[in-house]
Amino acid sequence: MLTPVVLGALAVLLAGPLPWLLSRWTDLRRTPAAAMLLWQSTALAAVLAALGAGLSLATDRLWAPPVAPADVVVAALAGAVTAVVLARLLLSGHRTGTALRRLRRRHRERVDLVARVSGGVSVLEHDLPVAYCVPGMTGSRIVVSRSTVRSLAPAELEAVLEHERSHLRARHDLVLEAFAALHLAFPRWVASEAARREVEVLVEVLADRAACRSGDRRALLGALLALAGSPAPAGSLGSAGSALAARVEVLRDTRPHRVQAAAVVALAATILAVPTLLVVLPWLAGLA
Amino acid sequence: MGELEQAVLEALWSLDRAASGREVHERLDGRDLAYTTVMTVLDRLARKGVLDRERDGRAFRYVPRRTRAAMTAELMHEALQGTGADRDQALVSFVGEASAEDLAALRRALDELA
Repeated sequence: MLTPVVLGALAVLLAGPLPWLLSRWTDLRRTPAAAMLLWQSTALAAVLAALGAGLSLATDRLWAPPVAPADVVVAALAGAVTAVVLARLLLSGHRTGTALRRLRRRHRERVDLVARVSGGVSVLEHDLPVAYCVPGMTGSRIVVSRSTVRSLAPAELEAVLEHERSHLRARHDLVLEAFAALHLAFPRWVASEAARREVEVLVEVLADRAACRSGDRRALLGALLALAGSPAPAGSLGSAGSALAARVEVLRDTRPHRVQAAAVVALAATILAVPTLLVVLPWLAGLA
Repeated sequence: MGELEQAVLEALWSLDRAASGREVHERLDGRDLAYTTVMTVLDRLARKGVLDRERDGRAFRYVPRRTRAAMTAELMHEALQGTGADRDQALVSFVGEASAEDLAALRRALDELA
């Protein structure tokens, strides 16, 4: 009887309080790669724990004779809830994936029709500064406007391009997609919005880091200043602070944080491994 | 293929009116393209909704749905919209909207490096 309770409690903890805490631990962004690992392992462990709680409740009731009618009802309910959770996840993943792929393909096709390609970068003839990437399995694009090319110094432009190339190389789009799907599947009751927002900041921080490795921070900061859009009303971006402010904060900090990185990676591994070792293995052994 | 599609669309834009496959082919004279290739590309662009096709006797005439500027503006809109609060993440911009505090923080960070 212990397994479903432990897994259920774990699922609740990983889906609510832990992401909530992590999203408030802003220093976590100083080790963005480790932080990204932690967010992914938390989300994965939460899903696995939730599914495991339902399944183990069902088997607990059915595998230990005598099986009373009440046991069958409980097992059926647990099984049904588990199936709903799994179906929601799969459906949401499918919907998010197809919608994003369609939008990106349509956008990419039109970019290819109007943009001049220069050095592997698609340039749109427009007076507003913009720089973005269109990720895609079958062909990604880095797009900038003519205004961006004109207004940035060569080193700044290179920093922007390296930032975008890093997004594409590291397939940040897939990570964002996974968290978007998670949020679509469970928009309430779990801290999926906080997780999604934080992961969005982290991919930018990671791409900024990559741009700084090959270029210099000055160029990247200069490009950010030149391309930052029209001022949004103060505070409109929520109390957690804006993504841009977070990026600047991380860019200012050049000290290595090896201890924090190691600790965060260890935490990420623990979150995934401990429930598996302590709970799921004995449960599976009990079934056999 | 994208480059060819762009050339065909540009030929139509420069004609600035509905044109037959033959006219587009003539316009692309310098490129040494087969007439059938041009027709294939026109057909594909029409299927993608980039061109409108109108019947003219036994042939078709093609006209771009949007001007080049309108199409560029549409793309820019999609890219910039993606930086708003309700972004769909299809496109990820280098940097989105910034508050006055954000810009001030950026300037401070730059000053530190100077």
